[in-house]
Amino acid sequence: MSRGALFAVICAAVIVLGVAYVGYAALRTRPATSSPASVAAAATDPQLRAILAQPHLVFLQPSGGDPTQNVVTVAPLQQGTTTRVETGLRCARAYFAAGHGICLGRTLTGAGFLFDDRFQPGRAFDQAGLPSRDRVSPDGRYASSTVFVTGDGYSTPGFSTRTQITDVQTGESVDLERFTVTRDGQRFSSPDFNFWGVTFADGSRFYATLGTAGHTYLIEGDRAARTARVLTDEIECPSLSADGTRVAYKRAIPGAQRQWRLHVLDLRTMADTALAETRSVDDQVEWLDASHIAYGLQDQGPPPTLDVNLWTVPADGSGAPAMYLAHASSPAVVRG
Amino acid sequence: MYTQLRESLRSASTERQERRLPWWRVSRNVVNLGLTSFFTDVSSEMISTVLPLYLVFTLRMTTLQLGVVDGVYTGATALMRLAAGMAADRGGRHKEVALAGYGLSAICKLGLLAAGGAFGPLVAVILADRTGKGIRTAPRDALISLSSPPERLGVSFGVHRALDTAGALVGPLIAFALLTLLPGAFDAIFVVSFCFAAIGVAVLLVLVEGRRSDRPARPAFSLRPALALLEVPRFRLLVMAGAGLGLATVADAFIYLALQRRVDFPPTFLPLLYVLTSVVYLALAVPAGRLADRLGRGKVLVGGYVALAAVYVALLLPADGPVLVLGSVLAFGAYYACTDGVMSALASGLLPAESRSAGLALIGTGVALAGLVGSVVFGAVWTTAGLQTALVLFLGGLVLATGLLGVGLLRTRAAHL
Repeated sequence: MSRGALFAVICAAVIVLGVAYVGYAALRTRPATSSPASVAAAATDPQLRAILAQPHLVFLQPSGGDPTQNVVTVAPLQQGTTTRVETGLRCARAYFAAGHGICLGRTLTGAGFLFDDRFQPGRAFDQAGLPSRDRVSPDGRYASSTVFVTGDGYSTPGFSTRTQITDVQTGESVDLERFTVTRDGQRFSSPDFNFWGVTFADGSRFYATLGTAGHTYLIEGDRAARTARVLTDEIECPSLSADGTRVAYKRAIPGAQRQWRLHVLDLRTMADTALAETRSVDDQVEWLDASHIAYGLQDQGPPPTLDVNLWTVPADGSGAPAMYLAHASSPAVVRG
Repeated sequence: MYTQLRESLRSASTERQERRLPWWRVSRNVVNLGLTSFFTDVSSEMISTVLPLYLVFTLRMTTLQLGVVDGVYTGATALMRLAAGMAADRGGRHKEVALAGYGLSAICKLGLLAAGGAFGPLVAVILADRTGKGIRTAPRDALISLSSPPERLGVSFGVHRALDTAGALVGPLIAFALLTLLPGAFDAIFVVSFCFAAIGVAVLLVLVEGRRSDRPARPAFSLRPALALLEVPRFRLLVMAGAGLGLATVADAFIYLALQRRVDFPPTFLPLLYVLTSVVYLALAVPAGRLADRLGRGKVLVGGYVALAAVYVALLLPADGPVLVLGSVLAFGAYYACTDGVMSALASGLLPAESRSAGLALIGTGVALAGLVGSVVFGAVWTTAGLQTALVLFLGGLVLATGLLGVGLLRTRAAHL
């Protein structure tokens, strides 16, 4: 066989392999975007309305591969419930409060959208980066979103996060990097500032994490005043309890790479409690009630899979973690 | 008509024939090596485009973490790279060693599929992929140089780098097209990436001819011949100046981030800067190679670093807006076109054929390692003392190193270009 013929045979074999595999992938992959029909149907679905009439959980059902294909799903607020209804909305990270929802990661490059209490998509927004955290304030006025901004390759330096708070009514967004930050009453700024994991208090007040020079500070901010002040260190992804007295958060385990333990900090006494969950959790947790939190944890197998389950653990350091809901992530508790 | 060229480059008749060809004609072997790189780059850039998404979502890790792994690994493979270069020189087995490197990286694309969501195996596959890159670069450049008449080294490397960069431009487009059509089908991307890599390997295996140097194979395997290269004054200068220049070179990501801070355009446009730089590099690679063959490779190399210095100066100037961004990207692309391939061409002209892979590995590793150190230092200075200070510091270092390179090149001017 001549060289040219040999080369042609190899190329033909390789191309056949590639085309066949792409065809196989196309057959098993679901449509790329939320189908308008299923979204519209959700608005009037009687089963969905029934769940929404009682305290419920809005969460994402993992798609097992592409995070943008996670489905916004609703279930009664009850451990281990088998009742759940898909809304037809799809994204990588979601939250819902006071009749307003946010979906971050409609596409892999970071676009997101807001949605209403009938699960109909509203205002869309662009925030370039990998979707990470999002929240809606208890009064439904503000929505926050955090994305990872990266270079184009996995070996490029310059990793950072970007966090913005959007006015749900006007659509106006403010980047936290434009806020004036103080520490011990002094102006505090550095080019390596990174903000992530907003949790809302009342009015335009919020808490978040400020990362700089190896520290992860808990900050208390005010969106209207565009200010924030440093409260304490070693707090990531805070989540404020409904009564506004405690934050549940993840604390990096010293010396370990990307390993976190869940803690609760009492903001009145600054007393800190490690929770009974000993596995590493990388999530912004949600308060199920005044004494329990819920968080997503990847199925650790064996063997580990891409599925995520919701777990719960008491917020006072007692007890033990328990599975709350299988095949669920990104929880938001709604109590009418 | 190129069969003749392939058979005997050193024969006078071929050289005469070669001179009559238009300046942009390079040997078919160089074009085929360029095609190998083109397909391999399509393959690897497809992966680097989607890997952050894949890792962050499936493994919930940050790119920072992987960046650290990658950085540490670059250092650890330095010696291995040199060893691969020396192995290639033994008996002139450049093609075989390059094939091993390209083949390893191709197989790793299927390895990604096999690793699934398991952290350990996935990192192992990524590291093996990097190893493949470490192995193949120097013997491939040696093959390019051994397939080119000495007076056309610049254009040959220019053609190769242009094809290489074209692959890097096409890869991400294919990856994004596939992701849009088949959301979540990362496995399909891995398989298609493997197919491109396999075609690249096939070009190398079937169409590229190995270039054995005339000298007999050295019996013993030792570091000495590689170190003996350092006794060639002009080559020693190039290694030292290359390392010094590498130290004063800032990673692309920092340049783009600095531009973004200065001009305050949305981060959405950051990927566009990479694309624009690549387009400029692609357009200028061959002309820069030609210029290097005509004017002297040293001059063009120095010119490339002057272009980089211009980028630093632009970032320090009070001007801003689209002019600053476009000017910087243009200069940055020109810097790549005038340094990457030209450095290899210049070094190839200085190295005896029987130790060309090792010599190219030595200089490539030196520049890469120094660049890594430089980027870490730049990031640290930026964080602690601010962007302005970091830029001034690096501009000073760059001017100094470029000056030393220029003076050194004048002093060691020999029979070489």
